Amino acid sequence: MSEATATQDVHVDRVLVSLRDVHRDYPLGAERVHALQGVTLDVERGDYVAIVGPSGCGKSTLLNLIGVIDQPTSGTVEIGGKRVDQMSDWEATSFRLRNIGFVFQRFYLMPILSALENVALPMAEAGFPKEEQRMRAAELLEYVGLSSRERHRPSQLSGGEQQRVAIARALANRPALLLADEPTGELDAHTGAEIISLFQRLNSDGATILVVTHDEELAGAARRKIHMRDGRIVDGAVHP
Amino acid sequence: MQQPSPRTIAIDESLAAQAKLKVGDRVTLLARPAAEDYAVMTATPSGYTPSATPPETVIVAAIVRRGADPSQVARGDLLVRMHLDQLQEISGYGDRVDRFAIATKPGLRIGQLLDHINDVAFGFRAYRSHDIAVETSRTFQVVSRFHRAIGVITIVASSVFLLCIMVLKVEERRRDIAALRLMGISRSSIVKSIIVEAALVAVLGSILGVALGWAASLFVNWHYQGLYRTPLEFSIVTPEIVAVAVSLSLFLGAAAGVLASLRLVRTPPLVLLGR
Repeated sequence: MSEATATQDVHVDRVLVSLRDVHRDYPLGAERVHALQGVTLDVERGDYVAIVGPSGCGKSTLLNLIGVIDQPTSGTVEIGGKRVDQMSDWEATSFRLRNIGFVFQRFYLMPILSALENVALPMAEAGFPKEEQRMRAAELLEYVGLSSRERHRPSQLSGGEQQRVAIARALANRPALLLADEPTGELDAHTGAEIISLFQRLNSDGATILVVTHDEELAGAARRKIHMRDGRIVDGAVHP
Repeated sequence: MQQPSPRTIAIDESLAAQAKLKVGDRVTLLARPAAEDYAVMTATPSGYTPSATPPETVIVAAIVRRGADPSQVARGDLLVRMHLDQLQEISGYGDRVDRFAIATKPGLRIGQLLDHINDVAFGFRAYRSHDIAVETSRTFQVVSRFHRAIGVITIVASSVFLLCIMVLKVEERRRDIAALRLMGISRSSIVKSIIVEAALVAVLGSILGVALGWAASLFVNWHYQGLYRTPLEFSIVTPEIVAVAVSLSLFLGAAAGVLASLRLVRTPPLVLLGR
């Protein structure tokens, strides 16, 4: 193997998310909105990236493409070396289940399930044995500091606790990438700080995190900050 | 010379209640068929003396409950059972009758017997009791069909209502469903969970409905049996009805769940989230 090839392999292995000249257009009446205009971006394994910018700059569109929720109009999106921009709905659903964890601004916990059951939900879908589901869900709840709240329903938990359950749920299937869309948006400053701290701990334990936020403190806690404007990355595209 | 003891009659519950009679009371039987205030019986003592028939004092020996005959429920007739000679005398018809019933021994060829009677008896017609029962119960068959039609309309209306409720309930959870889809939960898993939930709600609802129907049935029977003084059951809840109700409810609930959930899982999650 030549030195150049070896370097390339190492690079490919290190890069978890790779976008190349990605465009995303939406029809809006008779016109087209260019939500993303030629975005190229690499996110390495173990990175903690915050995407910031004004409303309508394309942050959420970028997150949707990386999260295999949406498909680009042109360009390529790879996660873990696998093209994800042309996947069918079934392939994309299956890929998200096993490779991507989502944390939303609203927590979207199932109200009739306990915290433990909510965390175990993605594992049940992935076909893990029940005992393994229960054990891992309990471990994750302990990790986010909610071991005493396993049996509680979402309505019995505070906003911060619900978001921690949602984070534990996002980690259930050991995803390669954790995506968060305004995870502190519904929380007060103190509870938001707890979530920021939890994200930092997750990252220091090896999780790759990509977060879209307006929250300066959350963005400031990330290792890398990407600024977007008018569908383009204006700063931070290149890894420092 | 010893006075002969009065003869006995039996009256039905309605008459007993209306005339405030009880077993052992003495009453006078009389008849005045031509008069407007036609009366067969009056409580003793009575100042009325019929011209045609001498009054006869009898004792109420029994108060009987009427049979469960729907044709008698709304008539309001008051029944007196008396000895045949008393009836002949008081009615003034003697041994003339409009109709009479014959009990036959098992195994007899009824059809042949009827044909024979109808051939030889001029101006006279014999029927099977079954045929008469069918003929007289036609009104009730119509009522029964009417009830069935109301039932079908109720079921159709309930089904539409159930579907609307399910669609609304599932619609309320569109963001939850979108989040589940984003997490990687498959469409089939979501549809299955909604169907199971809808079916459970439907079955629980039907059990509650059956319990309510059973209680309402008890009340209806208690009220109308008292009102008409009849053992007739006006409302019945049979195991078959319960089985049909629960099965139908289960089917409709599951169908409503399928329709409601398919509508949502076919919508892209981002659209469900309003993005």
